[in-house]
Amino acid sequence: MDEQALLQNYLIVGALLFGIGLVGFFSRRNMIVMFLCAEMSLQGVSLSLVGWSRYHNDWGGQMLVIFILTVAACEAAIALAVVLTLFHRSGKLDIAVWQQLREDNQAAFVDRDLVELERRQQVRWPTLTPAGIEPEPDLDQDTHRTHI
Amino acid sequence: MAFDFPVLMVLIPAFPLAGAIVTAMFGKWLKHEAHWPVVVSIVCSAVLSLMLLSHVVHESENSEMAVGWETTIELWNWSGVPDALAAPERAIGLTETGVAIAPPARLPFSVDVTLRADALTAIMLAVVTFVASLVAIYAVGYMHGDRGYWRFFSYIGLFVFSMTMLVSVSNFVLLYVFWEAVGLCSYLLVGFWYEKPAAIAAGKKAFLVNRVGDFGFALGLFLIWITYGTLNYHDSGGIAGVLGQARLSQTAAFATGGTATAICLLLLLGACGKSAQFPLHVWLPDAMEGPTPVSALIHAATMVTAGVYMITRCTPLYMASVDAQYAVAIVGAITCGLGGVIALTQTDLKRVLAYSTISQLGYMFLGLGAATFASITAGMFHLLTHAFFKALLFLSAGSVMHAMGGIIDMRRFSGLRRIMPITHWTFLFGGLALAGVIPFAGFWSKDAILGAVNAKGQEVSLYIPLYWVGMITAFLTAIYTFRGFFLTFYGPTRVPHEAGEHAHESVRWMTIPLMILAFFALTSGAYFEWTGQLHHWLGMTPSLAYSAVPRPDVHGGEGDLIVKTISTAFALAGVGIAAYLYLGDNSAAALLARIFYPLYWLSYGKFFFDQIYNVLFVWPMWLLAQLSSVIDNYLIDGIVNLVGKVPPWVASRLRSLQAGMVQFYALAMVWGVVVLIITLLVWPALARSME
Repeated sequence: MDEQALLQNYLIVGALLFGIGLVGFFSRRNMIVMFLCAEMSLQGVSLSLVGWSRYHNDWGGQMLVIFILTVAACEAAIALAVVLTLFHRSGKLDIAVWQQLREDNQAAFVDRDLVELERRQQVRWPTLTPAGIEPEPDLDQDTHRTHI
Repeated sequence: MAFDFPVLMVLIPAFPLAGAIVTAMFGKWLKHEAHWPVVVSIVCSAVLSLMLLSHVVHESENSEMAVGWETTIELWNWSGVPDALAAPERAIGLTETGVAIAPPARLPFSVDVTLRADALTAIMLAVVTFVASLVAIYAVGYMHGDRGYWRFFSYIGLFVFSMTMLVSVSNFVLLYVFWEAVGLCSYLLVGFWYEKPAAIAAGKKAFLVNRVGDFGFALGLFLIWITYGTLNYHDSGGIAGVLGQARLSQTAAFATGGTATAICLLLLLGACGKSAQFPLHVWLPDAMEGPTPVSALIHAATMVTAGVYMITRCTPLYMASVDAQYAVAIVGAITCGLGGVIALTQTDLKRVLAYSTISQLGYMFLGLGAATFASITAGMFHLLTHAFFKALLFLSAGSVMHAMGGIIDMRRFSGLRRIMPITHWTFLFGGLALAGVIPFAGFWSKDAILGAVNAKGQEVSLYIPLYWVGMITAFLTAIYTFRGFFLTFYGPTRVPHEAGEHAHESVRWMTIPLMILAFFALTSGAYFEWTGQLHHWLGMTPSLAYSAVPRPDVHGGEGDLIVKTISTAFALAGVGIAAYLYLGDNSAAALLARIFYPLYWLSYGKFFFDQIYNVLFVWPMWLLAQLSSVIDNYLIDGIVNLVGKVPPWVASRLRSLQAGMVQFYALAMVWGVVVLIITLLVWPALARSME
């Protein structure tokens, strides 16, 4: 495989990673998933850096990637701590809960689909006759469970 | 010179100023003792003024100067503009020894802060500081317990400083400065009780009416400057002063014709404002809203006589214009009669005295307008006696007001002679002096004016009707004075409920100054008439020693005796009529008021000057102000506000972007990057391919 084709493959995979990350970041509201998506885009960029570095035969790019990995690790620690704090505050991982940064007179974003989802869950489906001991419902899990 | 004039001349104004500053700085801590600095310093000033007077008289009698005697002390030079004016025709240069030569081609504009002492200044200083010390002592009792006690005394100190400077300075610009300073003190003291809307309005009115006069005064000063090339009274810096020795010892050194008349009329306008002469007299009655000691000191004895002082000082200028003399005399006579007629029907005791002050100042102007040595000195003589007896009357009225719980309407009280015996007697003395009953002070000074005007009338027939106006006013004066006296002190004893159950004679702080003033109201006229000292002293003032001042011998002539007889008869008749009308029931007075209803209506309405001025000046100004306000509020503010509304409008459009959604911010960031890429990479590439 010649160098050009190799670079092309690297760049395609990097762009794909970046694009998937971006789309995921835009479309998902779970903070952890959003964070993962952001990391994915970051790694897409890193991959293209590695590709270019090899193509130009310049190790500076790969060295930079090492730095990026380190920084990403630190960033992950902080970001997860932030996510955890936010989760403790609201009991939800939904990013849409945190919309106080909007202008005062802007209407709040209300999640209509969420309401329908909750209603759908209350529909009783036919169940099998219980066999054996019914498991104790995990209260902790219920309170902390997100719908996202 | 064995005697140190400069020290005295500086100390006399410096004492009250120091007292005012000390009171202003420490008044809050001095509390009820806040009067001491001011009272002590004014009394010191009074003592020094009397010393100064005796020394000035001594020096004047041994004068070796060409015209009268004066001494000046230059403190510093306030402003100096070299070569400010091409020397006008009337400018006179001086050699080192004071010989008149041609002036330099261009004259400097300089305001020499110079104090002067001559007989006129010394007499004014003595009167001002003497009356001021008595009034300040009286105020200790009168103002006791007032919230603004220290503020009051601080203002009084400032006023005495300004007034002593006004009569001491030797420069027209500084005269103007202190002319305004006494006006400021008057404003502050009229509006002393600033929570009272009437007091604020009165202070504002006094200030605004005075602006009209001061406008004329300022124009007069400009005209003096371009006519004579200097604004100093005295000779200094190689240039002859307006009223200096060099100019006064020459004949024909003063401007004549239209220029002289214009200067004199403009100065007269200034004097009319300050001295409450027709048509600018409207502020003085309203100024009675101030505390009574202020009415006595500022609006009767001292500040309102500043106009008389100024015209006396400028006598040589007036000698150059016969028309201006007529104007002064006519203004004086009109004011004199007008004040007398209005005072007849007022129900407020202080208002009666205010109109009487206006009327008496009219006498002084009449005397000045007659423009003979005898009449001018008679005007000054009346100024002196009037300072005593009018201060006495006001302070007595204040004593009544104090006892009546702030009520001064004569319809509300009567028969107070049993409650306030001392005030009754002092008011009687003041009233007799004001009415001109022999041998009280007012008799001598008023007759001196009338006699001099009568004598002038033998030469210029214009003065004969003016003389009769003065004479009839003397009759009215006696009536309104004793109307007030009888209504207040005689009849059944009635006390308004505001006075409470314990209406009593005033404290000794108040009654002792009253008694001292009563003594002077009795004796000062006769003393100066018999000794002739005042005329003698004034004759040694450079302005009055000027040879152009006519000195016909009227003293002791047959005409003089006739004048005295008529005026005594009028005064006694006036007192008698007042006694007939107002002792016992007032039905005769009420009948008279009904018979002469139009006259009564005019007098009671004060000839409706306030209403006329309202229609002629206040309302048009008010309309103009409203128009300006509308333009300002709607047109100018509208444009400014419109400009101000653009950024909020743009922001309100953009505001919806700030929705608080994290994803949207991320999207915006990406769009930003896309725009950057397009502008930096795609667009240049496209542009290159197009070429």
